[in-house]
Amino acid sequence: MEDSTRRVLQRLIRRIPTPQLKTTLEKWSGMTVAQRGSMDYTQTKWALTEKLLSLCEENDWTTKHITELEMIYVIDNPNQGMWHGFQLLDPEDDAHSVELTQFKEQFKSHLGELVRHVSVKIKKHTDEAVWIRIAWGDSFSRPNHLKPTYVVHHLQTPYVFVTGLTSKQKPLLSQALVLSTRHHTIKDANLSGRKLTAIRDLLMKQYQQVFPTNFPSPLAEKNETVSNPKIEREQAGPGAHRHQMACEAFGDGMLPQLQSAVYKLETKFKDHTNRTMTERDEPFKCIVKFESTNLLESLRYCAASGIASTPVTPLLSSIPLKGRNYFVITDNGPGPSSQMHQSQN
Amino acid sequence: MEGTSTKGGVLSLLSLLEVQARSRRHVPPQRSRVKELRAEAEALRVRREQLKTEIQTHQSLQRLRTSLDRQSTHDEEEEEEEEEEMDEDSENSQLLKLMARHTRVKDLLLAHHLIGGYDIVKTRHGKGVCVSVATAYEGVCLETYNLEMDLKPTLRICRHNVPPFVPLSSLAEQGDMQTDIRAFLETLSQHLNAFAGRKQQLKLVKEQHKTIEVMESNALCSILVLMFTVPKTKTAILCTLNYSDHTACLPARVQFECDVKEILESTEWRKNCSLLMETPLHKALMTMKKMGNIV
Amino acid sequence: MSSLKPFSKLPGLNTANILLVESEEQFQQSLADALVEETSVTVNVRLAKSLPLPLENEESRPRIDLVVFIINLTSELSFQSADASLKYLDPGYFLGKVCFLVTNARNASVPTERLDTVRKLAASLHCPLLFAEDQTPDGVTNATERLLTILKVAAGLVPLATALYLSNLTQCTVPLDIDQPSFD
Repeated sequence: MEDSTRRVLQRLIRRIPTPQLKTTLEKWSGMTVAQRGSMDYTQTKWALTEKLLSLCEENDWTTKHITELEMIYVIDNPNQGMWHGFQLLDPEDDAHSVELTQFKEQFKSHLGELVRHVSVKIKKHTDEAVWIRIAWGDSFSRPNHLKPTYVVHHLQTPYVFVTGLTSKQKPLLSQALVLSTRHHTIKDANLSGRKLTAIRDLLMKQYQQVFPTNFPSPLAEKNETVSNPKIEREQAGPGAHRHQMACEAFGDGMLPQLQSAVYKLETKFKDHTNRTMTERDEPFKCIVKFESTNLLESLRYCAASGIASTPVTPLLSSIPLKGRNYFVITDNGPGPSSQMHQSQN
Repeated sequence: MEGTSTKGGVLSLLSLLEVQARSRRHVPPQRSRVKELRAEAEALRVRREQLKTEIQTHQSLQRLRTSLDRQSTHDEEEEEEEEEEMDEDSENSQLLKLMARHTRVKDLLLAHHLIGGYDIVKTRHGKGVCVSVATAYEGVCLETYNLEMDLKPTLRICRHNVPPFVPLSSLAEQGDMQTDIRAFLETLSQHLNAFAGRKQQLKLVKEQHKTIEVMESNALCSILVLMFTVPKTKTAILCTLNYSDHTACLPARVQFECDVKEILESTEWRKNCSLLMETPLHKALMTMKKMGNIV
Repeated sequence: MSSLKPFSKLPGLNTANILLVESEEQFQQSLADALVEETSVTVNVRLAKSLPLPLENEESRPRIDLVVFIINLTSELSFQSADASLKYLDPGYFLGKVCFLVTNARNASVPTERLDTVRKLAASLHCPLLFAEDQTPDGVTNATERLLTILKVAAGLVPLATALYLSNLTQCTVPLDIDQPSFD
């Protein structure tokens, strides 16, 4: 057995927390039933690693087996690392009929043409998502399995989610993706976060959006709590209106968990008394960053409780509306900078 | 006393003392029971009168409604009779008539919504509209999709919850949304209804036919690969359904793959092929099962 | 712009009406639920985020006997909102029919100056200043009892006691050394 395989296995076992180790190994086809039964998960991580390494020797696992195990773990626990959203543009006519086997072949061959040493593994998850694991090498070195790139794509949709990609690899991946999905270009969707599910739901509009309607759904009507007739809310109307506006801007129910939103302001410094600054050619830069464990939830609360004014400023409502959390605002951009004064949790 | 107080601290001890002091002093308010009951009876009587008048209004409203409904369907002759009948009623008849009209229009609107018409709401003080497109399959109401649009300067979709694999923007471009919004909504509704229908069929297949394995499907439900098993010989047949027309609930192409070529050339399987192309998937599979072609 | 008046409406029989003003609309709900449990008098609670109150409720609103401003000390906005609301009250209210209820006073993140500001405000208006714990059920009960005591007097339900008399005894006073730096 090769030394590199051992290292990859060792590194992987170290990454998986002990409680998840059992479920992950059970989904993996690398072990026999007897071997699976002989694992004692009450042991320390070190002992478990030793045991798996000896099994590795015994079963003659190759890197392929180990990467398979890694994919199982990553697919089950996708909310790790930084995920970035990309959007495919200008579809060709047959973009809608791209099918899995065809996509697999095309992607592998296109990437293979671009990079000599690359290891690609494609797996389809139960929720229609195609997971791609890429271990990169270059013309002299073999694929590095310790730092793989993960790509998630739902066929027939224009969105791609990527984690662990360096700027050097980006054009290569972009080209392979564009060609194999039958599109013309790909662009950065300016959306990133730690939770893949959140980014996916936001871009694919899979969270509960609220629209103004004449016919409220029966569920919404039921939610109104029966209140004591002795208690009366004086400003119930405006409160309900604020809540509706907040929900229309950010959505209802559980919102995608986004951790941050960044606004980069590039403007001209205007002050007659300060000539050195005013006459500078470079723009005056300022970065505003909102951070929270669940940013959209915080923003919705701000709007619903009246801390932020309603209707919600386009700067904030653009996050769910445009599906991005990185904005560059220039002088003739959307709205004046003075609108960004609310701070929260 | 000391035993109970040690846990809660000074404040709770104080409040305990306060409660004790209060209960010692407390004199129950003396109020005449009879008076109370009389007042209650009076209040109930007033309420009864109120309800009675309400019932009356409702009844006359109902009568007006039925006459209105009859008017719209039948000849004008009956109208006059009704008029006479109403005149004697009260000076409120004008108002009642208006109310009856109002409920009728509202009911019509609701009916329109229920049969799948577009529900349009004005938003932002008339600067935009929100259109909802309902989907249904075989009489079952499925998801409702919404589009919020800006009216000025040009008609533009600014927010929607249409799934990303429905080519909304290209539909908007092709359909010439600016001039003919109805046509655009029509095609969009077709796409969405077909998608909902395919999704529902797939759901039903998964529920009703546990023996058939769904090998592959996609988010748009436009490609479906199923695996059948032929009884007796236990041969596996791979069936690929291709719904290349995204506005249809039925596949445009059906393809079988099998190791034993003779099976596919039999007339039965030729029939199955056309069956799958003409009937909804879950029903076609049911028929095939009954015929004994698949397990 | 209309201000709330204490004597513009007739009182109800054995009824006391309380108005809870809180910009965050958090504590007022639990407090209201506890207040209406009172059996010896009928307590009606009105909840508001800030003053002035909407005109369209003018008809249905009973005579308000006590106005309580709930201030969350951890939030500057909460204080500012209460401060801004004060001017929509008729001066008649300040004769014992207003009180301040402060929450989160023990929170470590509260700057001490903020409490001093609230105390100065309450003292300048001759209003009582109460402290409450809003997280525990015990705290809610305690606060409810305090408010009920004041409310009953303010509504004129306690013989031989008037709101003005009670507020003379309970109004917040600012210690003389409040502006002095403390050395301990």
